[in-house]
Amino acid sequence: MFKNYLLLSLKVLKRKPFYTFISLFGISFTLTILMLITSLFDATLGNNQPLTHRDRLVIAPSLERTRTETDTILAVDTLQLKDGTFRLDSTYTYEDDIVSTSNGPMSYNFADKNLRNFENVEHYAFYSDGNHIDGYLDGRKYSFQAYYTTASYWDVFDFSFQFGGPFYQEDEDQATKVVVITDKSAEAYFGVADASVIGQDMMLGDEVFRVRGIIDRPLTDSPLFAGDVYMPCTTLNNRDLSSTELYGGFSAVFLAPTPGQRSALQEEINFMSQNFEMPPDSYHDALELFNSPFIEGYAQGLLNERDPDKAMRLLFIPIVLLLLLFVALPLLNLINLNIGRVHERKSEIGVRKAFGANARDILYQFIFENLVLTFIGGAIGLLFALGLISYINKNDILGITRLSYSTEVFVYFLLVIIFFGFLSGILPAYRMSRANVAESLR
Amino acid sequence: MTAASTTSPTSKTPAGTAMIEISNVSKAYRTDTIETLALQKMNLTVASGEFLSIMGPSGCGKSTLLNIMGLIDEPTEGTVSLAGHKITSYNGTDIARFRNEQLGFIFQSFHLINDLSVVDNVELPLLYRKVGSRERRRLSLEALEHVGLSNRATHFPNQLSGGQKQRVAIARAIVGRPNIILADEPTGNLDSHMGDEIMDILLKLNSELGTTIVMVTHDERMARKTHRLVRLSDGERVS
Ligand SMILES: Nc1ncnc2c1ncn2[C@@H]1O[C@H](COP(=O)(O)OP(=O)(O)O)[C@@H](O)[C@H]1O
Ligand SMILES: [Mg+2]
Repeated sequence: MFKNYLLLSLKVLKRKPFYTFISLFGISFTLTILMLITSLFDATLGNNQPLTHRDRLVIAPSLERTRTETDTILAVDTLQLKDGTFRLDSTYTYEDDIVSTSNGPMSYNFADKNLRNFENVEHYAFYSDGNHIDGYLDGRKYSFQAYYTTASYWDVFDFSFQFGGPFYQEDEDQATKVVVITDKSAEAYFGVADASVIGQDMMLGDEVFRVRGIIDRPLTDSPLFAGDVYMPCTTLNNRDLSSTELYGGFSAVFLAPTPGQRSALQEEINFMSQNFEMPPDSYHDALELFNSPFIEGYAQGLLNERDPDKAMRLLFIPIVLLLLLFVALPLLNLINLNIGRVHERKSEIGVRKAFGANARDILYQFIFENLVLTFIGGAIGLLFALGLISYINKNDILGITRLSYSTEVFVYFLLVIIFFGFLSGILPAYRMSRANVAESLR
Repeated sequence: MTAASTTSPTSKTPAGTAMIEISNVSKAYRTDTIETLALQKMNLTVASGEFLSIMGPSGCGKSTLLNIMGLIDEPTEGTVSLAGHKITSYNGTDIARFRNEQLGFIFQSFHLINDLSVVDNVELPLLYRKVGSRERRRLSLEALEHVGLSNRATHFPNQLSGGQKQRVAIARAIVGRPNIILADEPTGNLDSHMGDEIMDILLKLNSELGTTIVMVTHDERMARKTHRLVRLSDGERVS
């Protein structure tokens, strides 16, 4: 009997090319878009290496110093409404705070002195990003983005090493000239990214570094690990390390023991900065150390918005709305089409029942038609999604970000579509399957 | 409706016994504002092997009567017995099986399924029985041959003339070898030549296979070819 239903579905769908096309288009288009969006989302904000512990992260990218002065401001020519009449007051004054600020990443010295003693911390690391360094080989010049990090950087982030490994505390302590590079840098500089690269020398700037490890290029495009080459922070020149200025090139990143302890850690950080004693000669009178969990930090950075809650809203509300829209439009279309079609087939249902179909037969027939349509549409959508993902990845269309395909997501969305197919095609069919036959045939 | 399945599709009730018994059947259609009495205390018995025609002005309840005989509409009052079984419930799978095995319908407007080919349309009643697909195909082609349309098996309904469509509908009605065929103005949408062809097929069916046929018609000429004529007016028998 299932074979009959299946054959019948295929026959009917073949005979209704327009309906079939529109439905398939709706289903596959929805699926493709959803797959791409969620894949992008996952690549950017998901639990991927090296961000497996992202929900325990607190990132402190920079410092802000503020100076607050209270000033009396004189306003002139102010039109006021007083006692029901307008009057012009030209000597109107009010008091206001004038805040002057300056911000930027911190010095190694600041981090070293103030950020090592928090309680709700499992690992923490300091790193200096945004350094350009030139590499040389056989008279050719390569430009790299260099990160100088503490050894604990490799504990905070769980990079996957293709070959070799990270550098350790003793390398940091002894300022060993070793470097961890991405597979892409290895290919650029050595022509290959394989085990033979480990232990080879790289000329970076005017010094020689020995390759310690090769890491996978991260899926996520984030300033936390946008480096091509990573070296112990102690290999930076001494001036950078010992400067007693507040500002420098460093940022800090912390890993709370559990996601639940993250906010306690943030409170500790804020407590530290609120009670930080500014140097006596400082123009500014207060310090703030920006800190945020990973996703909030991502939203803040992307939208250039200081308030983390507002940044999250600004980022996620449009995304959710967009997703809903993308799901809703083709689904509504499908529902509409389905309902129209069931009504169109009222007399068919009547005929089938007159010739011996019972309500269950009718229901199965419609379920099959819907499932067949959904699965064909799903297969097309899957092919499109896979094709687009590999095209996007191959051509670096999203920069460093790599999209990945997720079976879980696919199945999930397929279920959503099946659900709406049931709702739109099968509920009306069910109602009609119970309707009076003579009525359906009038 | 328990013993419905005991009647095999080919076994015939002996001639002369009642195939259809309508007793005291009334049918009222209720809408929000008015109630239409389509049938009033109708009594009618159709013998096994009989070819009965029903006539009467439009709206007098002919279709209603036929639908009640065909178990696709439920009487408001009264009882219906088919092939010796009194119908007590109009829900569930028993009634579906009973329709499938005992009844074949022919409608004025054909009611073919446009998405299906001619042979697939004819197969329809067999889909709801345990018949293998090869056997289904064989029986359907046989039924099509019976109505002279074997060469149109793979066509679609919209490629056929009205007379051809009605012949397909007849093939569909007879493919399951039902005891009863109910035809509601089967020639109503056809010209007289095509109408005669259809009538010939029905007459042959009745005489050769002994199928009980009840036919609603507006055409005295057709009615005169049948065994018996019943006239209705305003939901009541007048002859
Ligand atoms: N579903 C219905 N709802 C309301 N009234 C109906 C319905 N079906 C039939 N009727 C009414 O019942 C009467 C008999 O209809 P019908 O049996 O179709 O007549 P005929 O087939 O003799 O032309 C008519 O007055 C018709 O309007
Ligand atoms: Mg009628």
